Amino acid sequence: MNFNLDHFKESLIYGLIYLPNTLRLVFIPLVIGLSLGTLIALVRVYKVPVIGSLLALFVTVYQGVPIVVALMIYNLIFMLKFNDLAAFLHLKSEVSDVNNIWVGIFALSLTSVCSISEAIRGALLSIDKGQNEAGDSVGLTKVQTIVRIIIPQMIPVAIPMLINNVVGLIKASSVVMAIGIVEIVAGATIPSSRTYAFFEGYAAAAMIYWAFTAVVEGLAQKLKKYTGKFRRNLYD
Amino acid sequence: MGKLFAWDRFYENIPKILPYLSVTFSIVVYATVFGVLLGMVIVLVQIKKIPGLSQLVKVYVSFMRGTPMLVQLMLVYYGIPALLDPVLGTKINREWGAVNFAYVTFILNQGAFLSAIFYSAITSIPYGQTEAGLSAGLTEFQTFYRIVLPQMVKTALPPFGSDLVGLFQNSSLVFLIGVTDIMGRAKTIGTATKHVLEAYVLVVIIYIVISLSVRLVFFRLNNKMNYGKEEIG
Repeated sequence: MNFNLDHFKESLIYGLIYLPNTLRLVFIPLVIGLSLGTLIALVRVYKVPVIGSLLALFVTVYQGVPIVVALMIYNLIFMLKFNDLAAFLHLKSEVSDVNNIWVGIFALSLTSVCSISEAIRGALLSIDKGQNEAGDSVGLTKVQTIVRIIIPQMIPVAIPMLINNVVGLIKASSVVMAIGIVEIVAGATIPSSRTYAFFEGYAAAAMIYWAFTAVVEGLAQKLKKYTGKFRRNLYD
Repeated sequence: MGKLFAWDRFYENIPKILPYLSVTFSIVVYATVFGVLLGMVIVLVQIKKIPGLSQLVKVYVSFMRGTPMLVQLMLVYYGIPALLDPVLGTKINREWGAVNFAYVTFILNQGAFLSAIFYSAITSIPYGQTEAGLSAGLTEFQTFYRIVLPQMVKTALPPFGSDLVGLFQNSSLVFLIGVTDIMGRAKTIGTATKHVLEAYVLVVIIYIVISLSVRLVFFRLNNKMNYGKEEIG
């Protein structure tokens, strides 16, 4: 058995140095996904004509695209066309000035918008229609009904699904190493290219991810208890 | 450089890429068939609460669910040779094609994910059903096979479908360890002709078609399974 503990430790440290990059790749898409995803879900649930069905088509189709393939395409277009775009907008920047982590963030954001919108749509559909009618009958506007009545009830239903999405996003963020962004996986294997201890490098990356997802799931349990506090349990 | 996207190059790529779909499908088929078997073994260990083994299985499932597919792929790719070569005195890296590492990874991964699906499906069936079967003189296997299994299929089907869609998508990662699946082929076309966008777009279309058809099949299956439900309820 070939397992060198020193190489493992070194890789672990290198991986942790690049943890902030992974955090960026997770949290920015998460915020974008939550805001746009909620919007898309609302548009689809309230059946806004034309836009609703267009978004439904987009979400369904885009969910069939593997993230790594999408990422390669965006990176290619970014590499080839960024200079033209910058020239068109009279920006004084070139493709070499821009960190391509933004390509990764863009690809992950689109994926998370789609999956989060599906999760939130499911939660919205689980809320009784009578709630809308009740809101109308006491004179709330449509927006007030959504913000004050529907969304607060939707959150506890959506949370388990959203946690799955967050964990999925953490895991998906590792594929950005395919376009040369240095995050946990690529970082943990930096020493490996010198020592040839790739197994130890990837093992270290796996440990970091495992701990990361365990922390997220632990927090999720707490959050679930907190948000579910006001939900009436049918069996009580 | 010329045009970024040209339709004639796109059409030229179709016969070049489509044959490699068999690699993608073989990974998915191996992963599903052996993954189901592995998943059943894991569930058996969990339900029978075999001491020692069931804790081990718990850690295994948690690891598979908590780490990225990419990392698992790399761990298997570098780990199997590193762990087995010194023991067996083999040179697995030379003897195995890259695709074998992909098979191993995907089977291990699917085993864990499917076991979670099966476990929740089995536990969703009230234990009284099993007790009823046993009290009617069925053996444990008969009870499972005739009473629990038909009911659990219904619950397990929708998550199994979305798992399969995810599996197809994840299989696109294997090009990173040098397996030539459709994505790997698209990359080699890119290096050979310097025009890769058409190939990538074709790959995207193939994946979208696969994902939509898998979903359609499972949607139909699901409707069929729920056929008798309304009459009772």
